[in-house]
Formats: sequence, structure tokens, C-alpha cells
Amino acid sequence: MIHRIVRKEFTDMIRDGRFRWSAILVGSLLLVSLAHGWVQARKASQEHAAAQATAREHWETQGEKNPHSAAHYGVYAFKPRLALSFVDEGVDPFTGTSVWLEAHRQNDFLMRPAQDSTAAQRIGALTAAQVLQHLVPLLIILLTFGAFASERERGTLRQLVATGVGWRELALGKALGASGALALLLVPAAVAGAAALVVANPGPTASPLARGAVLAGAYLAYFVVFLALSLAVSARAKSSRTALVFLLAVWVVNGLVAPRVAVDLSKRVYPTPSAFEFARTVEREMADGVEDIAPPDRDESTQRLLAEYGAERVEDLPINAVGVYLQESEEFSNRIFDRNYGALWDAFRRQGILQEALAAAAPSIAVRTLSMGLAGTDVEQHRHFAEAAETYRRDLMRQMNGDMTENSLTGDFSYAAGAELWESVPPLEYEAPPLGWVLGNRILSLAVLGAWLAGAVLLASTQVRRAEVA
Amino acid sequence: MTESHESNTGAAPLLEARGLSKDYGSTRALDSLDLAIAPGEVYCLLGPNGAGKTTTINLFLGFVAPSAGQALVAGLNVSTHDRESKRRLAYIPEQVMLYRNLSGIENLEYFAALGGQGSLGRERLVEILVEAGLDGEATGRRVSTYSKGMRQKVGIAIAIAKEADALLLDEPTSGLDPTASSEFSALVERLRNRGVAVLMATHDLFRAKDTGTRVGIMRYGRLVTELSTAEIGHADLERVYLEHVSDNGGP
Repeated sequence: MIHRIVRKEFTDMIRDGRFRWSAILVGSLLLVSLAHGWVQARKASQEHAAAQATAREHWETQGEKNPHSAAHYGVYAFKPRLALSFVDEGVDPFTGTSVWLEAHRQNDFLMRPAQDSTAAQRIGALTAAQVLQHLVPLLIILLTFGAFASERERGTLRQLVATGVGWRELALGKALGASGALALLLVPAAVAGAAALVVANPGPTASPLARGAVLAGAYLAYFVVFLALSLAVSARAKSSRTALVFLLAVWVVNGLVAPRVAVDLSKRVYPTPSAFEFARTVEREMADGVEDIAPPDRDESTQRLLAEYGAERVEDLPINAVGVYLQESEEFSNRIFDRNYGALWDAFRRQGILQEALAAAAPSIAVRTLSMGLAGTDVEQHRHFAEAAETYRRDLMRQMNGDMTENSLTGDFSYAAGAELWESVPPLEYEAPPLGWVLGNRILSLAVLGAWLAGAVLLASTQVRRAEVA
Repeated sequence: MTESHESNTGAAPLLEARGLSKDYGSTRALDSLDLAIAPGEVYCLLGPNGAGKTTTINLFLGFVAPSAGQALVAGLNVSTHDRESKRRLAYIPEQVMLYRNLSGIENLEYFAALGGQGSLGRERLVEILVEAGLDGEATGRRVSTYSKGMRQKVGIAIAIAKEADALLLDEPTSGLDPTASSEFSALVERLRNRGVAVLMATHDLFRAKDTGTRVGIMRYGRLVTELSTAEIGHADLERVYLEHVSDNGGP
């Protein structure tokens, strides 16, 4: 019997001009945003690859120079775009995807365009994720707010219930019928998305197909939440107008109000410094040091080397004391960076956890967090790349300073290394984290979305049973 | 003129009310109704607005729960056998409401399927619609183009397709033109001849006399009298009705 209800609901819906036009609009926006995202992501990847190759070529052909000068010459590292980033660009537009790796500085979190942006600016442009998180739920509401309420007003509900059909069958049939109509726009989008993943040929890195499957599941759960909520409200509302107004209020709170409140609240509870404040703090600490982290003393360093090598003058040392001192300066800087960036990352992590917890008030927060995570564009994966780049930078500096130390003497300013040294430095081979790592970070969002799903279905089940025919 | 709450055919009643009452807050909408309608009987409930006619039908449909007493369909208590009792019933409201985006055939197919008739096939569906009085050409058109009379005919077709034991009619001819009303009466007659028990709430004394086998007059939620239509003329029915519903006949 349920299949009859499904078929009738589906037929009724697709013959409804309001549905046709709104579905065409939302479906078109979804496909266009997917296509635009894919083109942008592909273009960015190609540009990154070209820039990476150019940067490498510049590094290898920089000519003969002192290794420490080469360390200041530096290299650029580019965060690879994961295959699914065309669905959700996440925080990438705000954090950036490239970093200049040079001596004495950790540049990643300086000069970020979005460092001081407001919460509203973080919403960004219309992406496939925005369509899925905001417009599809709106379409679900428009499709189903009258599922029971309008039938009650028209009088068809009395006749339906008089046939002996059960409320649960009716609700399930209506839900599946609406799902079928929605599938007309979501399935082509999913097929287009899957095709884009295959065409992008991302390889095994970061398990894109598995990520895509989980992403599709998360959005499906999110849509079912809205479908169930809409049916529950429609079953109990006095009129279809009341149902629509209530559901639109839920939509506004879920999609527009709650995410901003969550961001602002998390920043208030776990404040982070502005880019300017952060840079000043790092600069000050680099100059003066802090408790337990003192700047290296060149004289002390020299005396230690003299004692170690049993020499009386620095000129007698078999190594370049300046190289040792430069590396000690690097180690000091690294401790200052670790201290400041550690605190900053920790604040971001706490903000993220609080935001995920606040998804209890709005499922959009949970699905947004999951979406960014699975697309590889969330803060955690930015951090994953930033830390890999920073490790690479430190290794690079260590190698440059080590070469200077080992192959020149103190006061020898004529030493210059060449292409052999530059080529011996391996390029940054960044590997994005696997799916398990991403899901491990997003356990809270998964749990909250699951709770929303179970709660909404339970609510629909109980409210539909309590519905009245007139 | 008889005054009885028993089925007057001797057969087991298909529709039965036993001390059926319904209160809405402090207002008693239906007061201790006892009624039994046997197969092949057409029982017409007459009475002014608010007399309790629609409440009685709602109680048989299980749309509202009784405050006291029982409504039984084919011996099944509606309160405890909600779905089973509905399976034995067909219902035609004052205004049959259908799905505007579906055709007459599609509406009939849907309601018949929900009523447990499975897949009837297009030919059979058209046959039923035509039997209900709908023009064959109209059966495939969307219901949004139908008149009220045509919608009522689809409602009748739904009832026919369900092959129900009992039929509940709530002001079914209200707003229909005389020809359509007459066709409707003929259809009810055919269903009655098939052994269907019919309970019809109506304001139409002429239709009640013409279609019904018994007539019950209600006022203030109470069944104040019952008449056999075979034993009374139109004029007498009108006189009795006015006697019972006039203000000096109140409780």
C-alpha cells in the first residue's frame, strides 16, 4: 500500500508547477555550483602544480650562494586541493592554500585575509555545500509543509483516513514520495559529483570516493531530519500557513542564525588574537624571549664550541660557529612558534568543539562541519598541512645551516653551495589525512547529526499518530 | 410510525450505536444514541445544524472518540478496531475533495488501493466511474476541471470500488442540482439492493423520504423519533420533522 501513496505523492508533486519551478531553480543552482566549484578547484590545482614546479625550479637554479642565504631565499609550499574540495571550499578562502617557507619565520598564519573577518564574511560565496545546506532544506519544507495540514484544510485527509490507511503508512508514503521528487534533482547532482571525482582522477590519496560516500550519507541524514521535522509540524499544525511559518522560522534559525551565533559564541568563550596582535606577540617574544625560552647567546654558543673542540679561537674550530648559532636561533624561534601557534591551534580546536556541540541546536552546524571535514577544507586539515609544511621548513633550515656549519669555517664569508645541495633537498610531499582521521575529528558532529536524525524521526512518528483529521 | 432502536429486518446490524455519546467540553453533542442499521437499509438522520448528525458519522469513522457508549461496524467496536472497522466502511462527505493534479481515474485508483482493493485495472476503474454517473470522457481529465457534481460522483465511485459493507453519507446531495441529486439517489438504491447498510445525514426531507427506509430525527444530540418511510408520506414527514425540531419541542 505504501508504494501507492509514494506514487501518488510523487505524481501529485511533479505535476505541481510550484514544485517544478522551485526544483528546477534549486537543481540548476546545485549543478552550476558543482560545475563552478569543480572548474575552480581544477584551475587552482593546475595553478598550484605549475607554481610548485616553478618554485622548485627557482630553488634548484638559484645559483651559488651561502646556504643560509638560500634559507632566506626560501620556497613556496602549496596545500593540495583534495578531490571533494569543489563541493565545499570550507575555510580555504580564509586561511589560504600556500605558504612561503623561509628562515626564522613561520609565515602560514600571518597575513591571512580572513584573520580579522567577521563571522558573516566566513559564510562565503554560493557553493554546492551552501545549496545543499540551505536551499535543499528550504525546498523540502516547501514540498512537505502541507503534507498533512493542507490535506486537512482541503478535506482530503478525512477521506484518506476513512479508507482505513494507517497514519504511519501515510507518513512514510508521503516522506518517500517527497524523497522521490527530491531525488529528481539530487541524483543527477550526485552522479555529476561522482563523475567529477572520477574525472579528477585523484588517486588513492585521502580516499576521495569513501569520503564522497560518507559526505553523501551525511547530507542524506540532514535532509531526512528536515523531512521528518516538516511532516511532524504539518501533522500537528492548526493550518498549513502556521506550519509554513513555523518551519520557515526553523529554517532561518538553523541556516542563518545558529551558525553565526555558534561562531561568535565560540570566539567569545575561547578568544583568539587578531592577526596583528598575534604577529606583535610573536615579534616581541622573538626579540626578548619568554620565561624558560631565552634567545641564544652567541658568546655562550662560541664558548661551548671552543670547549667541545678544545680550541682557543673560533678560527681554529673545524666547523662554522655562525652556522651553529644560526641553527640555535632557529631552534629558539621554533619554540616561540610552537608556544604561540600551539595556543592558537588549541583555541581553534576548542572553538571547533564548542561549535560542534552547539549543533544540538541546529543540525546545519553538524552537517557543515562534516562537509568541510570530508571535503578536506576544514581548520583541522589546514592545520595538518600547516604542520607538515612547518616540519618541512625546519628540516630545510636544519639542512642549510648544517651544510654551512660542516662545509665552512667561522669568518669564511666566501663559502657558497650550489645546485647539488639545492637538489638534495626533497620537495614537500604532503599526504592528506585518511578518512578515519577525519571522522575521528568529527565524532561529535556525527553523534549530534545522528541524534537529530533519530529525534526527528521519532518526533514525526509520534506527532503523526496524534494528528487530527479536521 | 414505529419507534425502535433495533434493526427492523432481523439481520445482524452492520452499523450499530449503543448508548453512544460525545461531549465537547461541557457541551453534549450526542446523547446516548442507540441505533442499528441492517444490510440493505438506508437510514436517514434528519435534524437542524448542531443536532449531532455529523458527530454520529465521525464517531462511526473513528475520527473522534466517544465519551460513552460504543459505535460498531459489522460488530467491530470502532474504538478498539479502528482500521478493521474502516475497511468495512465507505464514506462520502458533503463535499468530496480530491487531488486536483490527478485525474478521476487516478483519484479512484488511489483511494481504492488505500481502501484495500489492490490494483483494479484501468478498464474496471473507468467502468466504476461510469457506473457512478461520470461521463466516460471526463474520467481521464484532471479533477481540477471537475464540477462539484462530478466530484461527488467520483466519491460515489470510490465507495462502489471499496465494496464496503456500510456506507456513511454526510449531506451528500448538498449543493447538487436536482438531476444530480436524483442520480445520486438511484445509486444509493443500487448499493442498498446489494445489501449495503447506509447511514445518511441530510437536511433534505424529500431525499430522505425518497431514498431512505428509515428516518431518524435528531435534536440537541438526541434521537427524538424514528420513522419508517414506507409508512409515512412526504407531507407527514415534514409535519413530524417540524414538530420535533421547533423550539417548543426542545428538551
